[in-house]
Amino acid sequence: MTLTETQRDALVELLNIGFGRAGASLSKLTGQRILLDVPVVDIHPVAQLNESLRKVGVGNVASVHQVFSGPVAGDALLILDPSAASTLKELLTDEPALPLELDASSKEVLTEVGNILLNACIGTFGNLLQVPMSFAVPNIDIASLRSVVANLVAAGDAMRYALVVTAGFRLRDAEVTGYVVIVLTVQSLTTLLMAVEEWVVREERRP
Amino acid sequence: MTARDYATVESAMLEWAQNHGDRGVFTTDTQLQVISWNLWLADATGITPADAIGQPLLELVPSLVERGLDQAYREALAGQVKVLSHSLHRYILPSASGEQMPQRGQISPLSGNGCIVGTLTIVEDVSERVATERELRARIAAAERARVNAENASRVKDEFLATLSHEIRTPLNAVLGWTQILLQSRDFDKATVQRAIEVIDRNASAQLTLISDMLDMARIATGKVRLEIVDLDVASIVESAMDAVQPAATARDVRLTTDFEPGLPTIRGDRDRLLQVVWNLLSNAVKFTDPGGQVSVHAGTTGTVLKITVVDTGHGIPAQFLPQVFERFKQADASSARRHGGLGLGLALVRELVEMHGGSVTADSPGVGHGATFTVSLPIAPRLPASPSIATASATIPSLGGIRVLVVEDEADSMEILVRSLTDVGASVKAVTSAREALDALRDDSDTPTDVVVTDIGMPGEDGFSLLQELRKLPEDRGGRVPAIAVTAYATVDDRRRALEAGFVAHIAKPFAPNALIATIARTVGTRPA
Repeated sequence: MTLTETQRDALVELLNIGFGRAGASLSKLTGQRILLDVPVVDIHPVAQLNESLRKVGVGNVASVHQVFSGPVAGDALLILDPSAASTLKELLTDEPALPLELDASSKEVLTEVGNILLNACIGTFGNLLQVPMSFAVPNIDIASLRSVVANLVAAGDAMRYALVVTAGFRLRDAEVTGYVVIVLTVQSLTTLLMAVEEWVVREERRP
Repeated sequence: MTARDYATVESAMLEWAQNHGDRGVFTTDTQLQVISWNLWLADATGITPADAIGQPLLELVPSLVERGLDQAYREALAGQVKVLSHSLHRYILPSASGEQMPQRGQISPLSGNGCIVGTLTIVEDVSERVATERELRARIAAAERARVNAENASRVKDEFLATLSHEIRTPLNAVLGWTQILLQSRDFDKATVQRAIEVIDRNASAQLTLISDMLDMARIATGKVRLEIVDLDVASIVESAMDAVQPAATARDVRLTTDFEPGLPTIRGDRDRLLQVVWNLLSNAVKFTDPGGQVSVHAGTTGTVLKITVVDTGHGIPAQFLPQVFERFKQADASSARRHGGLGLGLALVRELVEMHGGSVTADSPGVGHGATFTVSLPIAPRLPASPSIATASATIPSLGGIRVLVVEDEADSMEILVRSLTDVGASVKAVTSAREALDALRDDSDTPTDVVVTDIGMPGEDGFSLLQELRKLPEDRGGRVPAIAVTAYATVDDRRRALEAGFVAHIAKPFAPNALIATIARTVGTRPA
């Protein structure tokens, strides 16, 4: 399954609304101006995630994982390489980060940031479908990308797809790049894309 | 189990949970009215369940609105779970009194029968974690500081080695250059030879000072310097130091003046070391004063302290460098283009030596271009009977006519200097290059007995100490009691003591002034100056 240009443009636009909200929330929370770059969206079978996320490195990654349910259900993750994770934490809190495995504070902050960003992204899908989405409590894991992906592959027996969204945080003249990964079953993805296309038609008909 | 029993157990369980949680838990309905409020929260916030239940949450805890957390409740009612980190929020609910408890929390929708019926808030105390992380951070910061310090120390050492190499090469360059000129010239006039010798002498002396300073610093650093404490007259020390720097001052057209308070008291100290202190301060002042300037020394007392003040009209010291002026290997200008030579050890030595005397030294300067003032403060000694003065070597060079000297030296150049200086004053010199040869020579010369043995200490095979031991085993008429003088590059106070304890009548450090050796030999064999 691939995205048409129209679908991709529409998803970028929708997710950018979510990123805008997340940036506003983070700015309000930290008292500093935080922007998120316009997202770059791609779609891959879950099993190919290792390949599409190889930019985050082969070592351990920080992944904030949140399960969501509703008419569109799946797993949402924010994935950061350890140095991006530490930098983001330091920029947000002014506290020096410790090695991630030892740093409960960093993990907590990253969980909150992931929570805000994932809620905002999935929330826009809810708005699109005009139903509230429900969310499970987010949790953070420091593990190899391979094992994160393996868990996602094992979690669903049906063929699943992953929307991979590049999230570039800009704050204090620095840029930190993370990846939002939204894993959906074929059925959820189809529902989502249909809603996206309907939204596009609605938007085009607007005066 | 009846429905009634079930309800009883369920309410008992809820009551237990209310009273035994290790974290705060409260619930609201969709109107944000408090439905439950556990005992943990009562302890943490001072708000009892009775006060809380039934109240509108945002009125019960107004700070939630002030801090924007009401938004989180609205989002929770829309289905979102919100986690609240300690680092970004510090706390969720204000503490009853005293210090604010550090907290983290979570606000989530409470669902029942597929729809949202209220909110659930969990609050945790993270004091312990925050303290542990703070300590961990402090340790990491301390380790980082230690690393930076070590790097700085290593950088200072590298800079020092570069300076050392430069400073040692510079005089060597002059020495070797003039030596080559002398070696290659077929015919040169007397003035050129004189000039060459003066340059070689001056540069070799400069190098000796460098090496002495460095060794002194190393000895002080390892605690190996011992002071030979005697009663001292400060004026004579200052005058000796003035004499030593006068040539340099004259050459730079810097005027030296002294000003002594009348009736200066005696102090207790090591004459050579205090001379080194004053000489260092004076030569430093001369080095940093431009032609036409002045260096003045004042000595006087304040209470029980004797103060020696060296004031110059020189370049002064930048304020930011003043605190480091007594640190080792530091010069205000460490660049390769710096105008002043030296290792940056002189003032460090001064401080160490003064502190060894129970005194202190300070530096002051009104700024660059305005001169500098160095003040040495030394405790005044209680008045003691004067110690017998030590006879100083006479200015006149004694003759060693008819004195038979056996010289033991393995190094050819040193040997040549020894033999030449001694034969120049009439001594009859026999030269050998090892302890073994020396013993053979002594055994064989019963008809013309040796008057004195002058020996190196560090030699391959048997050294000067074992030579002396073997010497003492010889029959009296075969050199068994001949006095021995050590002439050695083992030049520390400890080396000197060791030599004298071993039975040498004198210890002369290399490089030596030939006159000192001649005077010592003369004293040893009882010859009076000619």
